[in-house]
Amino acid sequence: MRQFFVVYGARLVLGLLLCGAVSPSYAVTPVSGYYQGDAGLTASQRAGREIWYKATAGNDRFHTYVFQQRLGILIDWYRVLNSEERDDRFAAWGLINDPDCCQPGSDGCPAKNLSETYGLDWCPGDDDLLAHVGKTGYWDPACDFQEAEDIENPFAENIPPDQRQSSCDLKFGTSTGALGLRKFPNPKFDQQRWLALNGGNAGTWEGFNGRLSDNPASSDYNLSRLGDGSIEPPFLVGMACGACHIAFDPLNPPADPRHPEWANLKGVVGNQYARVSELMVSGMPLNSIEWQVFAHARPGATDTSAVPNDQVNNPGTQNVLLNLTQRPLFDELVDRWRKTDSCEAGESEKSCWCEPGKPGKCWRRSEQMQPVHHILKGGGDSVGADIAIQRVYINIGSCSEACWVNHLTDLRQLDPQQRGYGQTAMDIGQCRRDCPEFRAIEDRVGSVLDFLILSPKTRATDLLEARRNVKKKADPSTEYEYDDLVEDLNAEFGENAVSRGKLVYAQNCARCHSSQKGEPEALDFHAASSTGGVRSDWLGDDVPTPATEVGTFRCRALHSNHMQGHIWDEFSSTTYKQRPPGPGISEPADGGRGYYRDISLVSTWAHAPFLHNNALGPELCGKPENQANDFYRLTAVDADGELLPVSEQPPCWQYDPSVDGRFRLYTASMTDLLNPADRTPKITRLNSDIVLDIGPKIWDGEKETKVFGLQVVVPEGTRAGLLGNFQYKDFVVDLVLAKTRPKELRARLGRNLDKKETDRVVADLESIIREALADPAQMLGSIKKRPYLLELYSSCTADIENTGHDFGGELSASDKQALIAFLATL
Amino acid sequence: MHIHVAHRLPVLFFLALMLQACSDQEPKLIEFVDYDEGYASKPDFANLEYEHPLADTREARADLARITPDYLEGLDQEQVDQIYARLSAGSIPDGAFDGDLFFPRGSSGKSRKAEIVGGLKGLIVSYKSKKLESLGGILWKGKVFYRDERVLRNRIEDLVVLAPLIDGSVTDIPKIDVDQKDAWLMFPAKLFCGQSLLDGRRESVIIDYAYTDEIDGYRERPDYLAGRRGFKVRDEIRMVYPGLYLGRAYLGRFFLLNFTLYNKEFADRDRSAWIETGVVTEDCETGTQRLAAASNDD
Repeated sequence: MRQFFVVYGARLVLGLLLCGAVSPSYAVTPVSGYYQGDAGLTASQRAGREIWYKATAGNDRFHTYVFQQRLGILIDWYRVLNSEERDDRFAAWGLINDPDCCQPGSDGCPAKNLSETYGLDWCPGDDDLLAHVGKTGYWDPACDFQEAEDIENPFAENIPPDQRQSSCDLKFGTSTGALGLRKFPNPKFDQQRWLALNGGNAGTWEGFNGRLSDNPASSDYNLSRLGDGSIEPPFLVGMACGACHIAFDPLNPPADPRHPEWANLKGVVGNQYARVSELMVSGMPLNSIEWQVFAHARPGATDTSAVPNDQVNNPGTQNVLLNLTQRPLFDELVDRWRKTDSCEAGESEKSCWCEPGKPGKCWRRSEQMQPVHHILKGGGDSVGADIAIQRVYINIGSCSEACWVNHLTDLRQLDPQQRGYGQTAMDIGQCRRDCPEFRAIEDRVGSVLDFLILSPKTRATDLLEARRNVKKKADPSTEYEYDDLVEDLNAEFGENAVSRGKLVYAQNCARCHSSQKGEPEALDFHAASSTGGVRSDWLGDDVPTPATEVGTFRCRALHSNHMQGHIWDEFSSTTYKQRPPGPGISEPADGGRGYYRDISLVSTWAHAPFLHNNALGPELCGKPENQANDFYRLTAVDADGELLPVSEQPPCWQYDPSVDGRFRLYTASMTDLLNPADRTPKITRLNSDIVLDIGPKIWDGEKETKVFGLQVVVPEGTRAGLLGNFQYKDFVVDLVLAKTRPKELRARLGRNLDKKETDRVVADLESIIREALADPAQMLGSIKKRPYLLELYSSCTADIENTGHDFGGELSASDKQALIAFLATL
Repeated sequence: MHIHVAHRLPVLFFLALMLQACSDQEPKLIEFVDYDEGYASKPDFANLEYEHPLADTREARADLARITPDYLEGLDQEQVDQIYARLSAGSIPDGAFDGDLFFPRGSSGKSRKAEIVGGLKGLIVSYKSKKLESLGGILWKGKVFYRDERVLRNRIEDLVVLAPLIDGSVTDIPKIDVDQKDAWLMFPAKLFCGQSLLDGRRESVIIDYAYTDEIDGYRERPDYLAGRRGFKVRDEIRMVYPGLYLGRAYLGRFFLLNFTLYNKEFADRDRSAWIETGVVTEDCETGTQRLAAASNDD
């Protein structure tokens, strides 16, 4: 760290001497160890890497205002980012500490106390940023972004630098201390008010995030001032792609995960420990519906359709982005905007639009066949890699106000005639027109793809190299080659395990987990490609397979945001939407739903646990010192689906990103995968009652008394998915129809149910109405008396999260060992 | 009373004339994009405003300035929404405003609740909604903005209904005199710029009652009724023109009703200049949809 400050200081002085002129109130681009990672990259790859790591594209407003006020979900940024818990941050949140940042007051740190940084870490660039808290005029480092003239990949347009949207709109800010999370000075911040709120101490946010009452009997016990929109915090916090994707490099993990160096980091493999879901609801009480429904994804997984909510509870892992030059392409019918030089006079802007002041920068919408990737788990984001990158930014909050919050479901709108009852499709053309940050990313997305697809940063992370690095650290003269790895694996998994495993893989796995064609036994899975030195085989064909055929937890395959008329409609191909409903699925599975693409197994030794939800293999936990931030939940259940006693729960495995740690986890997860009959089933259940208080209460200074209304309690132990997938809007509409227009209800239900079933549903809905009118507090009980209704009105009824993918279960014990050994070499 | 159709014709003719006279004062240029009953048929606000801005020309602003609270109350909810979304927050008001409230109406013109219930029961609901609107009008007279303190208080003229909920003597409650009419100042709220729950493209002025126990003069009974322990009221307003604001009231984030806030003095003083220049102090974020229209005919 000290070395960095010496380098930083020297570069700063040198920069001032050489540059002479300075930008308004900001001297030079901050220099950090981050830039060591630019070595070996082309100009475009370097630009793309910087965007990936730092650009927030304006989503700081989403994570400070929109999410809290519009959607009503509170993020407690101080709880996540306070510098005093820097060393506990990885264990609690899975976030990776920025090597360039420091705890104020620590040895060599420019900030001497927490008051200087408002309680957060000090990071490069903060000298200028902190001077602008509560003031306007901040010069964002993105304004000094070094543009790349040309791009290299064929998946995006090369917009010339003078045609691009200002790089200031990339919005870098400075690091918060956690990689990928960026901060910006809040010009509306009021120092005096903040000090008054926080007991005169600028180094804490405890007056902002602390409980309003210490009395558990008061409803204020569960509330803080985080929901008070009149309070402006010192920083707006934004999120770059790196927040989820930057991870410890499997080839060179840190000796201490709390204190990584830049050489220990890799930007594309996905952070397997990140608890993004918990972060996003960190300001909500444990007994709130928001916490219980959303904050239960496993480490490294998150429900990316939690914000653009589709009422399908479906956490998934971040995609591992390796060897992408070899990723399969599919010719599909795609309706999208494409770059053109001009529009015809009088042409509708809905089909052709030119950006004012940028001659020749026009976009025309058309439907054409084109090669596309299948990017999301179910194959969505299939209209081109460039637009897929854009949707990553959109999904983490960029352009939320200008482009998409108006298209979300309002979870409280129960009238089908009113806006917000359901989703509507985001309009990419409108977003390009109205959101400068959209254009700022779009105009440089080719560089992002150059970094992701073409740069050496995204090459496979082979076990061979990882083990070689470990050995060389101990003894630099050590040689460790492929034959040595094979020898070690054979020693662990059985004689000739690797060569036998190749045959087992070819005969049993390559059907889905290979991008090669031909006789399986003849395939060479290690052969190098002619491009960039990566292996030729992507070890996955990306072809959509029915979820019922794979047999894994199907809720992710029922994700509905990419359907026609839904929010990400324009991000899926026509071909996707025209897929037949996933076969054998009892829930609605039309519009492209019901499939999982066959994933890549490149470097899979480093990415256990398995399945799209990280549910297969040991459960991971961070064991933070601050127990309040220990988010691990017990999930192992018996054959009846009941949670096993604590004493019978398999122990969780503490985060261990070391080469050995990853390999042990891989081995245990593969063993679980190949022995489906031995798996202990897992179901995520609520770990606290959810208390919904409806109606006013009076406070007499000592106790609270409900004036009228009701309290609904959803008990601890309820399956979390049951609640998250319950189509309560349809249910409420049908309840109202049962009371007001039963004939209409019968006709509607009759489209999917036979007469007997319809009669039963209508009669039960009428009974529920009667019972609820007699005693509203019994509403939930009335529904639970008819459990089939919960199934009928569910978007996904699957419960066991680590089920399925039984392929290989029939292999002999020795072949299973052989397969584990061979796969570790890929 | 039963009136034969023939006997009613002169009355209807007279009413028609009255309505015609009224409509002369109503805006003529405000366009609404077609919609159907379902939520998905409602037009996207961004494109609605791009294609049919409300206040982009002097002529349009002059037309907008003809809007009255009565005009807004005659619209169905989607029309009210289409107007609201094309407004900006304007300046955070200062001073006393007269208030009026109206419940959402469906495309039939009845209250939306009555439409949902339907039939005879729907008529009863419709009748009750009108009674509630009248009751609201009797109780609630408007709002008083204290711009510098970023605080607001509500003007309550009749305490009969609230009396059982008030602790202590009503004489302790501060009063205000507006146009020679006394009103109690109750239900304080915080004022700030924030997110609209209808249209996220730009901020609205938020009137939030959740943390009002920190405001000077707060008294638990009855002010708690609007606060975080009570009905969790949250209002938002946007400026139609200087002196007139259109608002939306939410209980626990559920949309309940629309309201208008009008100050004739401010309107008379500032409306003409605004019509001429279109310039108004914007205290809140106006969003990024301000790019000049780029017609392909240019």
